[in-house]
Amino acid sequence: MRKVFVSLFVAILSLMLLLTGCGGGTTTPTTPPPTETTPPPPAEKIVIGLQAPITGDFSAEGQWAKQCVEVAQDLINKAGGVLGKQVEIVVVDDGSNAKDSATAAQKMISQGLKEVIASYGSSVTRPAADLYDKNKVVSVGYGCTAVSLTMETQRPYFFRTAGRDDTQSEFFAKFAVEKLGAKKIAIMHDNQDYGKGVADDAKKFLQPSIDAGTTEIVYFDAITKGQSDYSAAITKLKEIAPDLWFFTAYYNEAALLIKQAREMGFDVTFVGNNSVPTPDFEKVAGDAIKGTYMLNEPMPQFLTFPESKTFMDAYKAKYNELPGSIWAVYAADALNALCAAITKAGTTDPDKVAATMRTMTDAKGITGPLMFTDRGDRKNIPYYAYLYNNDGKLELFWPK
Amino acid sequence: MADLTSKLTQRISKTQGQSPQRKFPRATGLVLLVAAVILLGAFPLLPFVNNYLIDVGFIVGIYALLGLSLNIVLGEVGLFDLGHMAFCAIGAYTTGILFHQLHLPIVILLPISAIVAGGFAYLVTSPVIHLRGDYLCIVTIGIGEIVRLVLQNNPGGLTNGPNGIGNIGNPDFGLFSIQSPAQFYYYIWIVIGLVIIGLINLQKSRVGRAWNYIREDEIAAKANGIDVRSFKLLAFVLGAAIAGIAGNIYASKYMFIEPNNFSFMESALLFCIVLLGGLGSIPGSLLGAAVIVIFPEIFRQFASYRLLFFGAALIVMMIFRPGGLWPRRREGLGFAGLGIAKLPRDENALLAEAPVPPRPGTVPLKTYRLPPVTVAMSEGLTLETKAITLKFGGLVAVSNFDMSVATGKITSLIGPNGAGKTTLFNVITGIYRPNKGKVVFQGRDITKLKPHTIIGAGIARTFQNIRLFPSLTCIENVMSGPHCHAREGTWPAVFRTPAQAREERRIVELASYRLNQVGLWAFRNELAKNLPYGKQRLLELARALATSPSLLILDEPSSGLNDKETEDLMAMLQVFLGEGFTMLLIEHDMNVVMGISDWVTVMDMGSKIAEGPPQEIYNNPLVIEAYLGKEED
Amino acid sequence: MDTLIQQLINGLTIGSFYALVALGYSMVYGVMKLINFAHGDLFTLGSYIGYTVLVVGASWVTATFGIWGGMAIALVAAMIGIGVAGLVMERIAYRPVYKAGRLPLVVSALGMSFVISQGIMAIWGPNPQAYLSGWTPKDFLQFGNIRVPVLQIAILVLALGLMALIYWLVERTTFGAAIRAAAQDRDTATLMGINFNLIIFFVFALGPALGGMAGVMQGLKYTRISFNMGWLYGLKAFTATILGGIGNIPGAMIGGLLLGVMEALFEGYVSGAWKDVFIFLILILVLIWRPTGLFGEKTAEKV
Repeated sequence: MRKVFVSLFVAILSLMLLLTGCGGGTTTPTTPPPTETTPPPPAEKIVIGLQAPITGDFSAEGQWAKQCVEVAQDLINKAGGVLGKQVEIVVVDDGSNAKDSATAAQKMISQGLKEVIASYGSSVTRPAADLYDKNKVVSVGYGCTAVSLTMETQRPYFFRTAGRDDTQSEFFAKFAVEKLGAKKIAIMHDNQDYGKGVADDAKKFLQPSIDAGTTEIVYFDAITKGQSDYSAAITKLKEIAPDLWFFTAYYNEAALLIKQAREMGFDVTFVGNNSVPTPDFEKVAGDAIKGTYMLNEPMPQFLTFPESKTFMDAYKAKYNELPGSIWAVYAADALNALCAAITKAGTTDPDKVAATMRTMTDAKGITGPLMFTDRGDRKNIPYYAYLYNNDGKLELFWPK
Repeated sequence: MADLTSKLTQRISKTQGQSPQRKFPRATGLVLLVAAVILLGAFPLLPFVNNYLIDVGFIVGIYALLGLSLNIVLGEVGLFDLGHMAFCAIGAYTTGILFHQLHLPIVILLPISAIVAGGFAYLVTSPVIHLRGDYLCIVTIGIGEIVRLVLQNNPGGLTNGPNGIGNIGNPDFGLFSIQSPAQFYYYIWIVIGLVIIGLINLQKSRVGRAWNYIREDEIAAKANGIDVRSFKLLAFVLGAAIAGIAGNIYASKYMFIEPNNFSFMESALLFCIVLLGGLGSIPGSLLGAAVIVIFPEIFRQFASYRLLFFGAALIVMMIFRPGGLWPRRREGLGFAGLGIAKLPRDENALLAEAPVPPRPGTVPLKTYRLPPVTVAMSEGLTLETKAITLKFGGLVAVSNFDMSVATGKITSLIGPNGAGKTTLFNVITGIYRPNKGKVVFQGRDITKLKPHTIIGAGIARTFQNIRLFPSLTCIENVMSGPHCHAREGTWPAVFRTPAQAREERRIVELASYRLNQVGLWAFRNELAKNLPYGKQRLLELARALATSPSLLILDEPSSGLNDKETEDLMAMLQVFLGEGFTMLLIEHDMNVVMGISDWVTVMDMGSKIAEGPPQEIYNNPLVIEAYLGKEED
Repeated sequence: MDTLIQQLINGLTIGSFYALVALGYSMVYGVMKLINFAHGDLFTLGSYIGYTVLVVGASWVTATFGIWGGMAIALVAAMIGIGVAGLVMERIAYRPVYKAGRLPLVVSALGMSFVISQGIMAIWGPNPQAYLSGWTPKDFLQFGNIRVPVLQIAILVLALGLMALIYWLVERTTFGAAIRAAAQDRDTATLMGINFNLIIFFVFALGPALGGMAGVMQGLKYTRISFNMGWLYGLKAFTATILGGIGNIPGAMIGGLLLGVMEALFEGYVSGAWKDVFIFLILILVLIWRPTGLFGEKTAEKV
């Protein structure tokens, strides 16, 4: 009896599938499906979505991003809003993982949002960016620096206010060879999307020096994310005796690595990448941070634009401290970019907003002018090397 | 006093084979089912349903499919698999890699992914399938982690490492392709429907029953002719293949896969789905998937707390409803629950129509599995053991034992407790391999054969501590007997070929005949564990008979029976003798030994101390001394 | 050679953590046949309790009792706290489920794992916390090229001492015999007059207490604690328990140490990225060779 039902069920579903299939799609997979017929958000407000890792491994970043966006929103609304309307933010958690990210994106789309800020973590952002693109929603990433996001396919509706990893890797190569004069470089990653990407690129940009015989890579391996004890890897590294140690993955592991290394008497020059210098890193690593170099796009405390001052003052007034990372500030700038584009285009229509984002030249953000390339990348993001000095504070090291 | 008696009578009548009062009439269940089906089909069309909800429906589908695939391994067979996502990963990556390297269409890749995943499962579980429960568990966890890490480490540049594989296409059927959330929704649920039909067919077939026998009692299953190893592997391969299909569909919707999609946490969630739904229950897996997906989604606004509630919900579920949300029901279904085609409505009519089973020794054997007839047996002997010796560490359990069993006669093996009688039986039936000596049956040397092959040669046994399949009905228990001579395998079961249907009919007829012969026909649809002890013994006997053996080996058949029951048993054994069965018993009850044996062999401390006709043994001083000790001088 | 010795020390250090956690795990597993997925999270909870004691007490604790005194107090607090937590956990999540069989217990344990780890996140926040450097001694001993912090030695000594104590308790006392009897056959053991509640106390108070202490040691040695660090330890503990053989408590300890050493050697001499693959492969091979673990008994099932 049950089987009869199931068979009937299958037959009905097949019929439905044929009906929806023949109605909607064609044979070319690039044709987007018919757009939603959901009611748009109320006309008196401009609603923008924020997708962030409120829970999960990156929850710290997610919370900072939320706080920054809210401060930026406040400033915008106090100045009169956008096109005369107040800006409202809808926050959806993407759990720091790709699967939940797709669901979160779907949720945003279903609510009829046309502009979204998303997200932190390249592998988390990717499925969301795909979905937003397919559904003609403008999405601006703030903590996703993998090159592939903008280069492997054309995503006409995707932008990011953060820089790109190859910029970082290229800068590293220059910094390591020209400034620090390193001859034996150890590159350590965590075998994840982001960490490995930076490591691979670093290798690529070091190639000219390697070919010239002035530099060699003496170590290129991964540690396992999430462990507590890295003494085995450090011991191995100690034996190899590099003169520079470049760690390309996240702040949790970086803190443990540098602390344990110093405890074991391993005093090699340590260079961390742009995800490392955060309050969590400083807390866990303690005194071990002194004398380490950090590569980063400009850090919150070093921003010098007038807009930075306004924003930082407002943020400090509300939260008593500066934002924990530059990525959170980029999220705020994503909001600024979107608002500027909407104002300039005079509408929230995604096609017009996207076109405006690519061509606008006078939008000003907390982190500098908000300009984007054809592929959606941020233009003109400089890189710097910072040093944790003997007071445990970051100072700008190179180039001055 | 009166109401105590009435309570007692109620209890007794319950155990006498009446099904417990059903909670809801059958009609309500049917109506609910129809409603659910309609709701599921019409879901995307409902007015308040947007693409986000349809997507949730799709995700429920993926987890449901995965839950169904794990249900085969964990629910039906009871194998502890906590690494099932590995197979899904293999399927997804097969799709991704072959799509990019060979440009094969996604639709063609669906069966290919299933085959690759199934093949992979076969390769990795073969060496470890014999491991016991918890050890298998850690091995499956290990397999899951190894697959994930290997994918992440990008061997040979094949898997693209942690960056994953992107730009995987959508399924394209030529006339139309599947792209929108609604289309994917229908797509997955159609696949689920088809898979469910196949699974129901398997469940209610010899294969499904064999799986359940293995889960209930592996040793009894082996002793009843079920090739446990093959069926366990089959479960893994099928489960992996379906998981591979789920991987293919997942990849074709999200168009991007990376190793972290297939983590240990996901495997643990699958485990919860099967348990939440109910082991071995198909609708249960669907329900479990729905709960696992929808629960955290409902609580998404409480972001920080939703997993906390989820964990608490799991605990509460296990406290109050550990059998699952929709447990698999066996009792009260009658023969209709067996899923055999064209059975007469009246089960008694089936019994009346059941043909008399063939005489012992006339059932054709699967000789290709048996060693050839090489030994010339002495006249009139069916079984001979020659110089059997078996040691457990330093303890000699059986020492240089010669025994012969005459055809068509009843031989009894007696001796004090701990003499080694059951151990000898275990050697004969292949559970233990002797250190020295051999066992010859009808001219074949069966010493090294596995238990399930020896059944096929024509030896059946019962156990000292009854080994039934407790959660199955009596008729299902006895139906394990004809299993070893049946031929129709997995695919005939899935597609319900006429030959398979005919064979199933013959199986149930034979089982019914034997069940009736031992007087348990009234309890045919009762769960075996609900029977009183004496009846359980008879059930085991019926099961042994149903294997159509030439030789019946019974281990203390009268143990636990009262005088009346013992007399009935002796009468029954005489009937079987009349049918032509040869019997070998271990017995303690001297009435039985004296009453029906043709020959008695006596064992003490592992050695034979006497043998002969019953009367001689009865008066033999050595025997008396063995049992009672030496007379004091 | 120096590097090899250093790596062995590294391996024994992390191995002693695995062993301590595996110990508690194996006790529950051996006696109750329950895979306590929440055990790793109890370890985490212990580290947070120690952290709270030291943070709240802060300078007062360290000033009054000195660094070593402060650490001891944190350890004791965790031991008591997690001992209680283990008993509560058994009461709420396991006792009502025993009658349902082994598999529902696994699901209940998984649920408990979520509850504890998410509860920790709810109370202490999602950001990882750090044991401040003021709470631990900074001295170290130098042997040629090998540097060993005093803290590490202390932890190693404490861990080994606890293991020896448990070993003595289990193998050489009557009480221990009772536990081993219960591990073999719980029903018969209770019929023989062994108080089941006493067994529960041992298994669910002492086992987790050890795990909790290991959590504090983790914080002292490795500084960083986070709400989700337990599951990895739980998995390693389970692996170590199986490696040693189910129900064999000393076997679990050896399994843990072995696991730690293997990890260190693979990381040091083969490859960091493939380390876990090799470990699991070795585990599978060991089980194929010896199906009941390295030290598990070969019990023939009575048919």
